[in-house]
Amino acid sequence: MISKKLILFLFLLAVVFGPSCTIAIAQEAPADVDTRWFHTGKIWIFLSVVLFSCAIIFSIYRARGGGDIFIRRIAGLEAVDEAIGRSTEMGRPILYILGLGQVGDVATIASMNILGQVARKTADYETPLRVPCNDPIVLNVVREMVKAAYLDEGRPDAYSEDDIFFVTESQFAYAAAVDGMMVREKPAAVFLQGTFYAESLILAETGNSVGAIQIAGSDSDSQLPFFITACDYTLIGEELYAASAYLSREPMLLGSLKGQDYGKFLIFAGIVLGVILELVGITWVSTFFKEV
Amino acid sequence: MLEKLMSIDRRIVFILVAIAVIIPTLLNVRFPITVSQPTRSVYDFIDELPPDSTILMAFDYGPSSLAELEPMAAAVLRHCFSKNVRVIGMTLLNVGARLGDRVMSQTSAEMGAVDGEDYVFLGFRPGGISVILGMGTAIDSVFSADYRGKPLSEIPMMQDVKNYDHIALVLDLASSGTPSTWIAYINTKYKQQVAAGVTGVMVSELYPFIQSGQLVGLMPGLLGAAEYETLIDTPEKATAGMSVQSFVHLLIFVLVVVGNVAFFIQRRRAQ
Amino acid sequence: MRRQVPLILCFLFGIVMMLVEFSPHPVSEGLRAEVIEWDLIIGPFALVIGVVTLVHTHWIRIRRRVEHWQYSYLVFIGMIVMVAFGLPMGPKNGGNELPKWLEWFKWFKGPENEVFVWFFDNVQVPMEATMFSLLAFFIASASYRAFRARTLEATLLLAAAVIVMIGNAPIGDVLWNELSPVGENIPSTARQWILDNPNLSSRRGIILGVSLGVISQSIRIIFGIERSYLGGGD
Repeated sequence: MISKKLILFLFLLAVVFGPSCTIAIAQEAPADVDTRWFHTGKIWIFLSVVLFSCAIIFSIYRARGGGDIFIRRIAGLEAVDEAIGRSTEMGRPILYILGLGQVGDVATIASMNILGQVARKTADYETPLRVPCNDPIVLNVVREMVKAAYLDEGRPDAYSEDDIFFVTESQFAYAAAVDGMMVREKPAAVFLQGTFYAESLILAETGNSVGAIQIAGSDSDSQLPFFITACDYTLIGEELYAASAYLSREPMLLGSLKGQDYGKFLIFAGIVLGVILELVGITWVSTFFKEV
Repeated sequence: MLEKLMSIDRRIVFILVAIAVIIPTLLNVRFPITVSQPTRSVYDFIDELPPDSTILMAFDYGPSSLAELEPMAAAVLRHCFSKNVRVIGMTLLNVGARLGDRVMSQTSAEMGAVDGEDYVFLGFRPGGISVILGMGTAIDSVFSADYRGKPLSEIPMMQDVKNYDHIALVLDLASSGTPSTWIAYINTKYKQQVAAGVTGVMVSELYPFIQSGQLVGLMPGLLGAAEYETLIDTPEKATAGMSVQSFVHLLIFVLVVVGNVAFFIQRRRAQ
Repeated sequence: MRRQVPLILCFLFGIVMMLVEFSPHPVSEGLRAEVIEWDLIIGPFALVIGVVTLVHTHWIRIRRRVEHWQYSYLVFIGMIVMVAFGLPMGPKNGGNELPKWLEWFKWFKGPENEVFVWFFDNVQVPMEATMFSLLAFFIASASYRAFRARTLEATLLLAAAVIVMIGNAPIGDVLWNELSPVGENIPSTARQWILDNPNLSSRRGIILGVSLGVISQSIRIIFGIERSYLGGGD
């Protein structure tokens, strides 16, 4: 049933957009247009993506059978329960900030996954959860997510749509509004998870000044030093992506982390091999990577 | 006493910072600037361009980072106009349009550059990646007119500039992640030379691109602007700003030292 | 069904857009351009949602007389004033394509829209610059509080921070050249060395980890293994 509809949908997609793509190209393409279906210069990148993807899919497949998968302790994620518990005891809200990313950003999706887990717990403990959003589309997805989490926990009555709201798309106006909320409402816990830019320290330092326990996480590497300086816990880069697997302990998600480790091992082996060969005067590894 | 030194109220720190900014500003203190290699590389590249070459400057910053990036833009524009290098200005951010127009108009008036002959400002188009890629095919397919609505076909300097093939350098002045987008799409695809000038916070994340040769050079925040002003021998706002900033850096250094000395004395006593 | 359609779309677009990256063929390029166009079309809808939500939030605040409700009026005033003067800037930067009935209103036009420009230069620019300037104060207080040589790692961080900070300010070189008999411009040279070597190496490590994490996360999303962003359980 679904597949027939899917085929119909794809067919319509091809009919509607196929000609417009071709027309657009015909109008804009210069004479020396590249008509290759595959960019041979990117073959090594393609192969490494395929190889790495296969390693992850294989790990996920193996993990489906269950079994114990070791995952190292991540202090920032261990502290999630502590932060929620503290807010509950103090009767103060939790402030969850998703950063300035859009809904398509991987960091924002990772952040939403953590929010899903946090929302389940706040539903259980009846702790107010406040989520000021920077992007209207993120706002709507987050509302749906949190609502579903409250429903799953059997607490639809505790869900308040007004607690998840849009502030502004402007970077510093958003920072000012969230800072104002922190100062007025004095949340007991602040989560800063997602994509952040120069507003990171403004948010984190204000959170620190109101005495909130702060758990940050970002793949914006230039902002990590600010979070490390001003927050209690910081998830660095890939730890943010691993968070939903870590918190849910779902075998298939944990399996993907194992596949990720295989990739890391390969890269590490390549670096060690390259360094050794370079030291003995053999340069083909470094030359190869420069050309790729 | 030690306890107090280890936890000075943040409001006192704020007041000290304010004093460290206000007093040197009033006294108009100036220090000589040492130029770093990444900034020198941008300068050298532009300096070696033959007259009537064209560069594209993307004003991808908003009002918040104006203090760091506008002096940089002004310094590069002065250099270009003095070398008869033509400049196309544009932006990927809506708030950048007014800022780009303002700095181009002011600097051109000061240097006697003529709109449409020595420079043109195209303004803003939404789309980000599609704008970057579209200009690779034809600039006028993305910007049919300049910021003031004059068709590109009527602008003299755009008669022989159709796409990246006719542009010697793309310089992205940015306060967000746009430099890596420019690099990913035009350096890789069109082999276009790219340089960047970014806010101080972002500098370290772009260093890998300098080492890989994907960036011609990099101007680091207000310091980069001051370095460029030194290179063109026109000390302006950035040079003054860096001198003021020196005192704040010094203050933070002193605070960190005081905090650590108190910390060590207290730890020794506790032992 | 409510969740199957998004998952199927996510799978299809995920795979196709990945393959498009490796194909320079005009059809692939056209497809990429088309999807970017779709993304652009979604933008205005998002704006409408944003405005509606903002108005709703502040209207409720005024109606319920919550604490500081008076400020919500400022949101409406700011929004109405900027839209009223900003809209004539128009989709083509305001250009010269204003309707005839507006042309008599000279200062209402394009980049010469003096009222809009005045608000931009004298309201938005100083307000945003002020917020950004707060960083100077916060960096000072955060550094003072956090930079303590408690452990070896913290000491290394502290040493690197101090060298970069002093090397980044012209006064560092000036003081060194005045006071030290050894070498010239050592602070700025040391700063550049830290940026070029330890900084670059550690950053590469983070980039590698993040990149692998992104691929792993993307695979989980494309194959529908990670679906909590869709809300609810299964």
